[in-house]
Amino acid sequence: MTPFGALLRHELRLLARDTRMILIAIVLPLILFPGLILVLRAVERDETERLDRGEYQYAVRDTAQARDLAELLERALTLPGDRPGARFDRARTATPDSALASGTVHIVAEWSGADTVQTEGPYRPGVTLRYRADSDLSRAAATELEARLLALGRQERDSVFRAAGFPADPGRVLELEATNVATPAREGGARLGLLLMPFVLLLLLTGGSIAAVDTLSGEKERGTLETLLTTGLTRAEIIRAKLLAIVALGLVLVTVNAANLVTYLVIGVLELPAGLALSVAPIDALLVLLLLVPLAVLVAGALLLLSGRVDGYKDFQIAFFPVMLAFVALAAPAALPGMELRSAIALVPVAGLGVAVREVMVGERDWLFLALAWLSSGGAAYLLTVLAERGLSTERLIGGAMLSERDVRGGPALFPYRVARWFAVLWALFFTVSLWFGDALGVRGQVVVNLIVLFSGATWLMIRWYRLDARQALSLRAPPRRAWLAVALGAPAGYVTAIGLAGLVDAYLLPVPQSMLEAFGEAMLIETIPVWQLLLFLAVLPAIAEEVAFRGVLLHGLRARMRPVAATLVAGAVFGLFHVSLFRLVPTAYLGVILATTVVLTGSIYPAMLWHFLNNAMAIVPTRMGWIDVSTEIPWWVYAAAAVALAASFAVLLSARSASPREERASPQGRTT
Amino acid sequence: MTAPAANDGRVRVEGLVKRFWDEGRGEIRAVDGIDFECVPGEVFGLLGANGAGKTTTLRVLATTLQPSAGRATVNGHDVVRSPESVRRSIGFHSASTALYPRLTAKETLEFFARVNGYPADRVPGRVDELLDRFDIRPYADARIDTLSSGMKQKVSLARTVAHDPPVLIFDEPSVGLDVVNALELRRIVAELRDAGKTILFSTHVMPEAEKVCDRIAIMHGGHILSVGTLEQHRSRTGLHYLEDIFLADLTGADVAAP
Amino acid sequence: MNHVFWRDVRVLWGREVRGALRERSVVVNSILLPVVLYPLLLWIEISALGFVAGLAERSSARVAVLGDASARSEIVEVLEGTPGDGAPENDAGPIEIVDTPTTLDEALTRLAAGDLDAIVTLEEPAAGGDALENNARVVVRYDRSVDRSRRALERIERVMDGARADRLALEAERLALPPGAAEPLRVTRRNVSTDEALGTTLLGLMIPLFLVIAVALGCLVPAVDTTAGERERGTWETLMTTRASRGSIVTAKYLYVASFGATAGVLNVAAMSISLGPILAPLQGMGDGGPALVVSLAPTAIVVMALGAVLLALFFAAAMMPLAAFARTFKDGQALVTPVFYLALVPLVLGQQTDRTLTPAIAMIPVANIAMAVRDAIHGVFIWPLLGVTAAVSVALILVFITFSRWILGFEDFLMGSYSGRPWRFVRDKLGSAR
Repeated sequence: MTPFGALLRHELRLLARDTRMILIAIVLPLILFPGLILVLRAVERDETERLDRGEYQYAVRDTAQARDLAELLERALTLPGDRPGARFDRARTATPDSALASGTVHIVAEWSGADTVQTEGPYRPGVTLRYRADSDLSRAAATELEARLLALGRQERDSVFRAAGFPADPGRVLELEATNVATPAREGGARLGLLLMPFVLLLLLTGGSIAAVDTLSGEKERGTLETLLTTGLTRAEIIRAKLLAIVALGLVLVTVNAANLVTYLVIGVLELPAGLALSVAPIDALLVLLLLVPLAVLVAGALLLLSGRVDGYKDFQIAFFPVMLAFVALAAPAALPGMELRSAIALVPVAGLGVAVREVMVGERDWLFLALAWLSSGGAAYLLTVLAERGLSTERLIGGAMLSERDVRGGPALFPYRVARWFAVLWALFFTVSLWFGDALGVRGQVVVNLIVLFSGATWLMIRWYRLDARQALSLRAPPRRAWLAVALGAPAGYVTAIGLAGLVDAYLLPVPQSMLEAFGEAMLIETIPVWQLLLFLAVLPAIAEEVAFRGVLLHGLRARMRPVAATLVAGAVFGLFHVSLFRLVPTAYLGVILATTVVLTGSIYPAMLWHFLNNAMAIVPTRMGWIDVSTEIPWWVYAAAAVALAASFAVLLSARSASPREERASPQGRTT
Repeated sequence: MTAPAANDGRVRVEGLVKRFWDEGRGEIRAVDGIDFECVPGEVFGLLGANGAGKTTTLRVLATTLQPSAGRATVNGHDVVRSPESVRRSIGFHSASTALYPRLTAKETLEFFARVNGYPADRVPGRVDELLDRFDIRPYADARIDTLSSGMKQKVSLARTVAHDPPVLIFDEPSVGLDVVNALELRRIVAELRDAGKTILFSTHVMPEAEKVCDRIAIMHGGHILSVGTLEQHRSRTGLHYLEDIFLADLTGADVAAP
Repeated sequence: MNHVFWRDVRVLWGREVRGALRERSVVVNSILLPVVLYPLLLWIEISALGFVAGLAERSSARVAVLGDASARSEIVEVLEGTPGDGAPENDAGPIEIVDTPTTLDEALTRLAAGDLDAIVTLEEPAAGGDALENNARVVVRYDRSVDRSRRALERIERVMDGARADRLALEAERLALPPGAAEPLRVTRRNVSTDEALGTTLLGLMIPLFLVIAVALGCLVPAVDTTAGERERGTWETLMTTRASRGSIVTAKYLYVASFGATAGVLNVAAMSISLGPILAPLQGMGDGGPALVVSLAPTAIVVMALGAVLLALFFAAAMMPLAAFARTFKDGQALVTPVFYLALVPLVLGQQTDRTLTPAIAMIPVANIAMAVRDAIHGVFIWPLLGVTAAVSVALILVFITFSRWILGFEDFLMGSYSGRPWRFVRDKLGSAR
């Protein structure tokens, strides 16, 4: 047996001997899950019953033709609807709206456009049913009444047609008949595919957390970790053995609990909803299991990383809940109706696997995208494992809460290690403000709050807090002259290529609903705001405040710990994330990378400011002045020319760089020791 | 410095420095430029009060801490460049290297022999041998969490030598032991030395150092104040008891310090 | 020995709270993390919704039309053409007619494999429709288990509804019927809930659940830490050998756990409702997903909610601490307490139904009664007698737990952490000695 084999066996043995852990991780869910399912099903049945046999009150708004409407409703209610057991009673009230608001009445019916009622004949303008979306009863009543009224309307139409001598039943004209060809097994598979992921994830997280906390934080607390670290094993071997042990436990847990549920189904304690059957082909089951492996490794990696970071059981407990929420949030998009694996979702860890499982469960096997989903989650799992390994080699593990020099001294040397936290909090504030107060603030208000209060304020705070040299942190230096030429050439080229890129992204990666695009365009070009103000708020201020924040402090902080290429890419990606909307993510990140590159190459922020201003101005002015509109198509050669111009612009920047004096290192203080 | 021959069983420390940072106290030089060498068949003692830098030195040698400056080799392997080789060459034992409570004594020995790369086919024989040599056999199949502290001490010592390493590091091993167990510990250390092991032994108990160590380095404030056999220390200071020698060195150091 | 001296309690409580607040991990994880995490989660969900909407809008429904050439071409024209008047609500979404499979069986195989989304065949009209010339029955075969296929059906239905209306209008004209005769009665549904009402409902569904879970989680860590954790660190004995009576010590610890749990619960709920409020609207199928949910809570409601949080905290603390106190390590303590934590899942059982209020039966169920009372309060419903019952039930249970704790505190061996952290061994011993 190799040392690694011995370690793995050892880890598994330790897990197996932890009786309490076994009880909580395996036995408790065995009872809990079926119990929960039973109760939830009972509640669901009860709810259906309540709505089916509901006694609904409707009121008729008191207009001149109220009696007509009341009579119409009465006739409609004699028809059988979708809920034949439901009872509708007319409530006579003088104030139907307040009765609806208070819940004593579920529906208020009125003539649509009550002023223009045609009185003769059976042809009426239509009925409006007022209901409350926040009440299940009111919603159910509206649906039911609507169905019965529509049925009545068809009857009346048919009788008119027949009276006029129409040879056929009008309902049978171009009659559409929908036949569901899905077998019960397939529908069962679809339902199961939807539930499988949350079920597995919950088990992996709860069971895995107990194992993970014991195997790393626990060893730390008991002192056995130091013993282990002084053996001939490498850190990587230790982490891998622990990871495999957690994964093994997770898979056992899932298998046992799945078998448990199946047993309950077989002996009839639980039953499947009507019309569903449970039958999974062996190959599909195998495929699902294979898809769950990276998930199990990912969860185990995250928990192990967490367990290595925290100082003990208690800290782990406190930090575990947010981690669990994060996983659930990542898994949730997979359950959205309409999600398809053959899309960018395959690239998202966890969510991609969720969609993959759903599709496999209905027998679809899109091998390329299954592989992509597998690889994306597997890659994320690998990344977490590497991070956990790195965590294991830090001295903190042994020496307790050891600090490094920069922690104690603070100041510029610490800033590169804190810049990510600052921007995370800043992002959260930015997002929350735009979500809750976006409409109330309007475009100008938002710009003021975001750019002046948030970005500039945070930049100022960071410079003060870490005693940064503002000139250096914000790259406030005169650029080489050639840089201005590069900007003049590059800004239009960058703008056009960004449009092209947005088109490509929209077509192949992140499709955008048309409504979202239109809403954005409208928000940008409000007619009531004069052009000069639009330019001020959407071009001048962003060019200053966003440059100072993103190409100033952020880039400065990142460069101290990363290679220039990585720093520009990360700074660009962060800039993209700050534009919140998914469809603006890639183009703005692209612009962010360009601007960051400009700053890195010229050593100055001013060319980037000008570039940013020109870019935004080009997005505003031509559309606003009516020179172009949404439908304007850009011919392909323009894109090609723009790409060439952009390359030329960067060539100029590169030559300017070699001409400029040697660039100073971003943070020499980082290496004083 | 000449490259040390691999697997020479020696421990060499040259200009070793280890700095820490503390929120209240700023920079702490736990170890501040020490040099020493110890050879097979020798028990080299680090004697000093708490905070003298003994544990930090030994942890650097065990590769759980990284040196801030200077160099250290164990059995010919550099602690920074080839930590795995270093760890395979050592047995590390301290008050904080605990045992797995859910394993039995025998499983513990098997496990540590295996993870340290002891030839798999010889592990059962080795465990048998250790069970007898450390008198563990009567409770070989009992779980660690049911053992008394004396029994745990024996298992822990046996686990330290399970893979028969050339270098052994004992960091204050006698802390919390009663007289009988401390005696037993000393007997085992002497046995190991006689078997040709290189042994590093740290303690703050003067009589223990006198009895166990062949050479003693007196440490204070991250420095080694003096090194030598007990006889050398005595003739250097003209004092008989190690306690007095220690105090004399400390006083001298404090006077000499700026 | 078991007397409670309130002055001591205050001093001891202050020490416990200070200890907790001095821990960086507690502060970071309970305050800083939610601030960043909840908006991030929200962003993920909003982005996913936008992504799915874009995906659905772009992807064509792949439809195969079977049948003889002439009739087929007519239907294909209808399906491919822009239906209705081109207004957005009539735009069903793109339909792509794929090359015709030769047989229905082949088409069905392709539907099952996911290469097709729907199959349209033209059949003879059913009885009642056959008298009309040039009429057909359009049979759509789809797979209900696949989202894409359901969407294809919806699109076809929409297009066919338009085609049928056009045809009937034509027929009506031919029969010289008055205009509008071909149109059946129009029924419009109008939601009159204000944003405020929607917000209230969403919070009513969300807050009780989060409150119970957050309070239980908030109690769990300190309950275990202040008992088993202290024993592990060795400070338990230090504390027990001070002048303070055991009663005072335990009371202080109890109040510390409860106050910590209540605070954690309230803070978490506040953070979650600020961040997650907007996202739940579209997920619940109510409202248009606009984030403009305005919620105003009556002062009475806030008082009831706060009281509910306090009662929950007192309840969980009282239920968890005696169990945790058996353990000798934090880990064991947590294992003992976890089953109590699952009580926090009880409100899940209430389901997510609207229009329900506290009933006498629910008022008798611990935890669930408080969750329901909080939900009522958010809706501005206060059934005072039942609120009284809820409070009485909770207080009675809390008293039972506290009495039990005081009883077991009387045993020296319990106090010193015997029984290897196994409550059942304690129970067995005590029952054995009583016999």
